[in-house]
Amino acid sequence: MAAEDTLILRARDFWTALVLIAVSLFFLWKTSDIPLFGSNRAGVSGADWYNSAAIVPLGIFSGLLVLSFVLLAISIRSGGAAHALTRAGIGWNPSEALRFGTIALMLLAYIAGLVPRVDFILCSGLLITALIFGYQGGHPQRMILSTVFVTAAGAFALLAYGPQAEWNSHVDDWVTLALWALLTLIVLSQAKQTPVLRVVPLIAVLAPFILVCAMAFGFRQNVPARGGLIFKQIEYHYYVTLRPLWRT
Amino acid sequence: MEFILNQLSGFGGAFVALVVDPLTYAYLITSVFLGIAFGALPGLTATLAVTILTGFFGNKIPLDYSLIALLGAYVGAIYGGSYPSILLNIPGTAASAATAMDGYPLAKAGRGGEALGLTTTASFIGTVIGTLALLIFVWVLLLISKNIASPEKALLALFGILLSGTLMSEDLVIKGWIAGLIGLAMAMVGLDPILSEPRYTFGWSYMLSGFQVVPVLMGAFAVPQIIEGLRHTATGTMVALKGRVVPKLGVVRKYLPTIGRSGVIGTGVGALPGVGEDVAGWVSYGVGKTVSKEGDTFGKGSMEGLLSSETANNACIGGALIPLLVLGIPGSPPAAALMGAFKINNVIPGPTIDPEIILRVVAIMVLASFTMFIMGLFTAKIFIRILRIPQTVFLPVVMVLTTIGSFSVGGGINDLYLMLAVGFVAYFMNLMKYPIAPLVIGVILGGLFDETLRRSLLLSDGDLSVFVSRPGAAILLMLNLALVLSQLPLGKRLLARMKRTPA
Repeated sequence: MAAEDTLILRARDFWTALVLIAVSLFFLWKTSDIPLFGSNRAGVSGADWYNSAAIVPLGIFSGLLVLSFVLLAISIRSGGAAHALTRAGIGWNPSEALRFGTIALMLLAYIAGLVPRVDFILCSGLLITALIFGYQGGHPQRMILSTVFVTAAGAFALLAYGPQAEWNSHVDDWVTLALWALLTLIVLSQAKQTPVLRVVPLIAVLAPFILVCAMAFGFRQNVPARGGLIFKQIEYHYYVTLRPLWRT
Repeated sequence: MEFILNQLSGFGGAFVALVVDPLTYAYLITSVFLGIAFGALPGLTATLAVTILTGFFGNKIPLDYSLIALLGAYVGAIYGGSYPSILLNIPGTAASAATAMDGYPLAKAGRGGEALGLTTTASFIGTVIGTLALLIFVWVLLLISKNIASPEKALLALFGILLSGTLMSEDLVIKGWIAGLIGLAMAMVGLDPILSEPRYTFGWSYMLSGFQVVPVLMGAFAVPQIIEGLRHTATGTMVALKGRVVPKLGVVRKYLPTIGRSGVIGTGVGALPGVGEDVAGWVSYGVGKTVSKEGDTFGKGSMEGLLSSETANNACIGGALIPLLVLGIPGSPPAAALMGAFKINNVIPGPTIDPEIILRVVAIMVLASFTMFIMGLFTAKIFIRILRIPQTVFLPVVMVLTTIGSFSVGGGINDLYLMLAVGFVAYFMNLMKYPIAPLVIGVILGGLFDETLRRSLLLSDGDLSVFVSRPGAAILLMLNLALVLSQLPLGKRLLARMKRTPA
């Protein structure tokens, strides 16, 4: 490892050590909620120290605290603390920050906003289209545009239909479908410059369709948003139209 | 002798039962194909292949078929990593990093077909060597492990986490230990295994059952890989495959000593808890460079160099299954994913495992290596085409696969939140050179460690001497202490001085 890389690592280790110390202390404090030295609850005598549910976590978080201090000492001795606040020391890279930030936002919108509420084929199709378009070629504008589409769909679903009781609404399905269609048009308009983009609509439709059908009808497992716009139709026709063909 | 014959006849029975079942082939061919494809695609790893298939096949089909799918993918993926190493100079998996050193120069010299054919043969022989070791040593260890009680189990689990942390750290060893402790800490969430006392649940009922293994596996292994891989990279110039792939018998015979040696090294390294195929490949490559007559040409296009790493990484699979099946401690990161599959099928690997399962695992391994061998020799061109797919195209599909796989095991959205949270943490840990395997092993072994440690103390009324009064426990305690002390500055200085002192 080059000396410069090591210095960046030690600067990051400085911050990590501080976070780990804070986390260890917090969980050591939370461990104090668990009876350690023979509790007495409602007149029933609890466990001895050696059988307490707190003994192992206590050891783990104490160990983590000690190791965090050792890491902090290593970092300070290697010059990590001195460079901890500098841009170069932390190894800040704006393009990498944009790349990670946009991916993180899209994944958050997908998992927290879309998957629980929106039809799985629709939301996964949108995600696949956005991720391929955003990161094939490494264009920052495309990353941002893709993120806008996915987060807009996710935020709408999350904010408009947050509570579980409202997850069956189809308005967010339609919004996601519209955003997906619009993004697909943009993707296809760029396909001349990036030929790979031509196959994106095909992958975006087929991959989630095959996966959700395999999981629901092949493995007979639960799938997210069973009442979604498209899956509801697939499920209906599978049981009502198709299945009787081979059941009879 | 009678013992070996008994094992062989038991293995024969399991093998025939699998061979006569037509479904075996369906699962085997699909999983080995998927495994090779995962290994061949730079950005996807063997661990990811086993993890994702655990989400799909883990608890949805009978255990036998599930094992066929997972072991087939494991064997295929470790072998598949050799394709981009040889033809693109990009290791498909970490296990094939050493392969690229000699594979690419060989392909550039017009010997790509020969390199690929011999790699396939060596990987096959390596897997069989590892599997034979599994068949023989697993029984010897099982006999010993009958004497293993709670104190030994607790110390073994700790040793597995510490050793994995020590050997898997790229940067400071302390980072491996921290990762292991974070994994152990995650395993403490939920109702404790003895008194059912809630721990760190923050009043959330989902947390009462603790963190589920599959979302943690998906988060730790898949999400960081997806985030890391979603960047534009030039595909690289692929060297055209020249020459026949099917190797000549005489050439194979010439390299048999190298293949045999590397197979034994790979199996041995694999048997160390938590140490993966990449370490096996490099160790075997290093040994090969030292002992081989053509050691000077290693790194410049040596066939022996290529076979040293490729045989060892496949032999490592059988080795990695030994501690998994006998002690319940995964021998490598993909084996940790495999343990997740065992857990969700309510099979507890370790001294109490049903011996029939071990025989079936061995039979599946042999069949999987045969399938890999045949596919590798006769369908190489299909896998070479796969190499052309950019990772920005297949990784989004992997994300969707991961999501539905993780959701279907537990059937809840909370598992997806857990997966994403673990994924982000694991990404930053990767960025700061913290190994992820010790974290996963910590999560998997945490429950066992907690339960057995407290049970030991409970049975001895809190007497700590229970960890030294039993010979097995005393040895394991010494090993744990020696491992920690050897990494302290004083221990390192002592070791260095011992090395300098002539014998």
